[in-house]
Amino acid sequence: MNKDEKKAVKKLAKQNQSKVVAFRLGVLYIAVLLAFVGLSIRLIKITRENNDEYQQRILAQQSYDSKTLAAKRGEIIDCNGTILAASKENYNVILDVKMLLDADRQAGDNTCSFETIKALSETFGVEESIIRQYINDVPDSQYFVVKKGASYEEMKRFNAFTDKPTEENKATSLYNEKIKGVWFEKYYVRDYPQKSLASDVIGFSKSEGQASYGLEQYYNDELTGTPGRKYGFLSDETTVEITTIPATDGYTLVSTLDANVQMMVEKHLRAFAEEYKDNARPGWGAQNLGCIVMRANTGEILAMADFPNFDLTDPEDLSILYTDEQVKQMQDEGTYRDACDALWRNYCISNTFEPGSVMKPFTVAMGLETGKLTGNESYTCNGSLKVADHEIHCHNTNGDGTLSVKGAVAKSCNVALMYMSRAIGTETFLQYQNIFNLGLKTNIDLSGEARTENLVFNDKTLHESELATASFGQGFNVTMIQMCAGYAALVNGGYYYEPHLVSKILSPGGTVVKNIEPRLVKQVISNSTSEKIVDYCNAVVTDGTGWRSKPAGYTNGGKTGTAETLPRGNGEYILSFISHIPANNPEIICYVVIDRPNVSVQEDAKYATILSKQILTDILPYLNIPMTEELSEKDIEELSELDLSVLTGRIETGTDEAGDGEANAPDPSIDLTATQTDNEGEYTP
Amino acid sequence: MAENRPVRRKRYVDYSLLVIVFFLLAFGLVMVYSTSSYSASLDFEGDSLFYLKRQLISVVVGLLAMAITSLIPYTLYSKLRHPALLAAVGSIMLILTPLGYTANGARRWLRFGPLSIQPAEICKIAIIIFTAALLTQMSPGIRAGWKGFWFPIVPTGIICLMVFVISDDLSSAIIIGLIPVFMVLVSERKNIWPILILTLMVTVGVFAVLFVVKGWIPASMSFRLERILAWLNPEAYADGKGMQILQSLYGIGSGGVWGKGLGKSMQKLGFLPEAQNDMIFSIICEELGLVGGLSVIMMFILLLWRIRDITAHSKDYFGNMLVSGIFIHIAIQVILNICVVTNTIPNTGISLPFISYGGSSVIFLMAEIGIVMNVGSHVRFVEEEADEQENPYSAETD
Repeated sequence: MNKDEKKAVKKLAKQNQSKVVAFRLGVLYIAVLLAFVGLSIRLIKITRENNDEYQQRILAQQSYDSKTLAAKRGEIIDCNGTILAASKENYNVILDVKMLLDADRQAGDNTCSFETIKALSETFGVEESIIRQYINDVPDSQYFVVKKGASYEEMKRFNAFTDKPTEENKATSLYNEKIKGVWFEKYYVRDYPQKSLASDVIGFSKSEGQASYGLEQYYNDELTGTPGRKYGFLSDETTVEITTIPATDGYTLVSTLDANVQMMVEKHLRAFAEEYKDNARPGWGAQNLGCIVMRANTGEILAMADFPNFDLTDPEDLSILYTDEQVKQMQDEGTYRDACDALWRNYCISNTFEPGSVMKPFTVAMGLETGKLTGNESYTCNGSLKVADHEIHCHNTNGDGTLSVKGAVAKSCNVALMYMSRAIGTETFLQYQNIFNLGLKTNIDLSGEARTENLVFNDKTLHESELATASFGQGFNVTMIQMCAGYAALVNGGYYYEPHLVSKILSPGGTVVKNIEPRLVKQVISNSTSEKIVDYCNAVVTDGTGWRSKPAGYTNGGKTGTAETLPRGNGEYILSFISHIPANNPEIICYVVIDRPNVSVQEDAKYATILSKQILTDILPYLNIPMTEELSEKDIEELSELDLSVLTGRIETGTDEAGDGEANAPDPSIDLTATQTDNEGEYTP
Repeated sequence: MAENRPVRRKRYVDYSLLVIVFFLLAFGLVMVYSTSSYSASLDFEGDSLFYLKRQLISVVVGLLAMAITSLIPYTLYSKLRHPALLAAVGSIMLILTPLGYTANGARRWLRFGPLSIQPAEICKIAIIIFTAALLTQMSPGIRAGWKGFWFPIVPTGIICLMVFVISDDLSSAIIIGLIPVFMVLVSERKNIWPILILTLMVTVGVFAVLFVVKGWIPASMSFRLERILAWLNPEAYADGKGMQILQSLYGIGSGGVWGKGLGKSMQKLGFLPEAQNDMIFSIICEELGLVGGLSVIMMFILLLWRIRDITAHSKDYFGNMLVSGIFIHIAIQVILNICVVTNTIPNTGISLPFISYGGSSVIFLMAEIGIVMNVGSHVRFVEEEADEQENPYSAETD
């Protein structure tokens, strides 16, 4: 019993101990309860006092990850589908440093960063030390641009490491699970595969939605797509919804330009510039060279070229005109931008000059159309004519003798034209100046066309002596495209077409969005007047100043122009030759302008007529204009010589089309066909 | 009642405790999925179930641990005073070996193949066992004196320091430091107030040192200081340390009374760091509102009530202390977690028991619940020999 009692006492003591513990724990429990009550009150307080404010703060800090998705700028292709301008996908390589280091931490070592840096360095050629340095400096960064402008191929090569292997390529897969935190940001860059070809016509786009000069700027709205957007928004139930609006790519322009014709023209311009380089003065063969080839009956421009030109892929490169030191000096002086603009602007539409004798057919046409001339008049030229106390000389100071109207045009006699202008009078001259669109924009679809309305005469400035000189193209300024469009109307029956460069606008899928038909603006002269003008202009070639311009195997007509620049007497001339082919049924207009040729005696139209002949000899067979004339032995000899010297630079290779143009249907060159196929691949959905 | 005796020999299971624990676990899984699916799908290549799957595995392992500990007679632990201490010290020292594993910038884990364990969690349960066993070993006289205080506090204090220094984990150290202090307080001793005052002074002293000797603060401490400053004025530190706490408050405040609805939190979309972990309570309040948050608090109140009830009916001192320790552990962690989330105390990473994401925490908490169940099931064996009249417990449960 004693033992039992002892046991009982012990047990009681133990029970007592336990009861104390239980009691105190009970007290603690109450304390815990109080703590919970306190916390609950705090919760209620936070909710009651700040509900609205915090809700707003939360909404305010939602960024929804709004992201712009780049749209692809439309392409510019020539009439054969050759790509002149296109946008390529490029990628920025982004490294999420934080994610990479987290992966390292999870793995417990640094194999992930090691492998990732190695792969980045190998694929993109970025030095490992640069990446390591950055990771060291900014370990929290989630956006480190490892490389800007990686190509699609590079991106693919890197993705080989991160693409999980499928059943098929298990053996060959380069998959490396250690590579983490790398992603790509897609954007587009403009590419000009033909480099400097038609540079002034095409213009360039340096950043998305922005373009300078030429078609790129004029058709910027059509070319620029609509960027897509990925964004989140709060729905009625304050949940975040993510929505993606895909980007709409820009439209494609189909140009009337023919890359082959353009290339031939540019080749000849360059050849001229090089031939007379550093001849009479340092520098290229002329200050500027311009050439427009246009279809006479539609206003479609086949080629529009000027020299010096520039590389569209690197427009800032002014090395064609200036040395590096000069560029630096210009940058210091602040004239660099002006120099760039001078190079980038399109001579054919932006520069103005006095047309000179090319104006003569226009003057004659005014007279014939208004009946003030019949075409049967004859004039005597003694070398000069006194108009309002001024002695105005003919370019032939010895006098051209007695001339018919036709002869006056053919010999380009100033005196005869002055007599004609007297018959025409200022009123008619001004009226027809307007009808021929001189002083007005042609509205060609290019940006940068010069305004000439203040550079032509008006009723306040046109007096007797001005009228006399204006009759042979002095005293007012024009642009090349104005003369070209006007001359086309003179010889095609009187129909003035708006010159244009784009024939079609295509959707990204390749369907036609807009067909741009030739736009007949007005009839400027009657058919019969036009026939007479054609006849006179043909005489310029057969029997006058333009005799050097006749391309072998073809007939042509045209008008030369030699205009002395201001101030008069400085010996500097702008030489030009405008011509139509074939002679009796004009299809092609070709206008060549040589601005101050680099020769000691500039006043000689032969530079322009020969250049024109070279160009025409080259492009006419290509354009499938049939030869109508027998080739003389001299012609054949000349052609085969040309073949060797100039024609070898053509896009087409191995065709001696000049030899027998009729038989020689021009097939598109090999490299152009290649690009064309690529191009078609893009357009077939 | 005599005729019921054979029936009573059956193992007693506190089902209400079990139900509460299971509810908290299931609720925890739902919330872990809700809070982590967005960030998981971003971080793990679209695998939004990443955290849920891992937590599910932990819960299954935890259930196993609970089943095992509920079957092991708890009296066995009373002999494990020294092994428990050794296990605590050893597990922390292992962090310094190559087994130690760094994640999220802190070396706090041990890795055994695919398994990773937080030694701090081992320490918590080891210290509960050690303190309970040590106090049981002492005679009531010693226990009541200062020796009864210093004997358990010194070794556990050393472990607390080790956790802080080696694994650089202040929050676990605080919990490990507080558990034995409260256990000593509830143990049968007379001088409670000096101990309470001492604890308070130590705490205040630590903070005072932190504030006064700014230049003396080592680099690892300065970020804690910043946390304290951020606590005092979270808006001023909105970019740095105050950001998390401010986002947490935004979450609670914007939830309103009824919440935005399950899964509709906006704060979890990358704005509130550690949303599935320390800050899960904020998301609970945002999605389920004040009602949801208070319900969770209510569940913990019920859980703690059940645990305390078992101590009230245990006649065994060791079992009593053991369960008290577990009670204290859970209570401290819940209170501190909610305090942090509501910006009541400076920000320190403490997870919400049973609900927060974290494998080690869930597994060891479940093991502790297993121990509580075991203590509860042994109530009878003690009672049988005791005076039945004094046993209100059997009357209640019959």
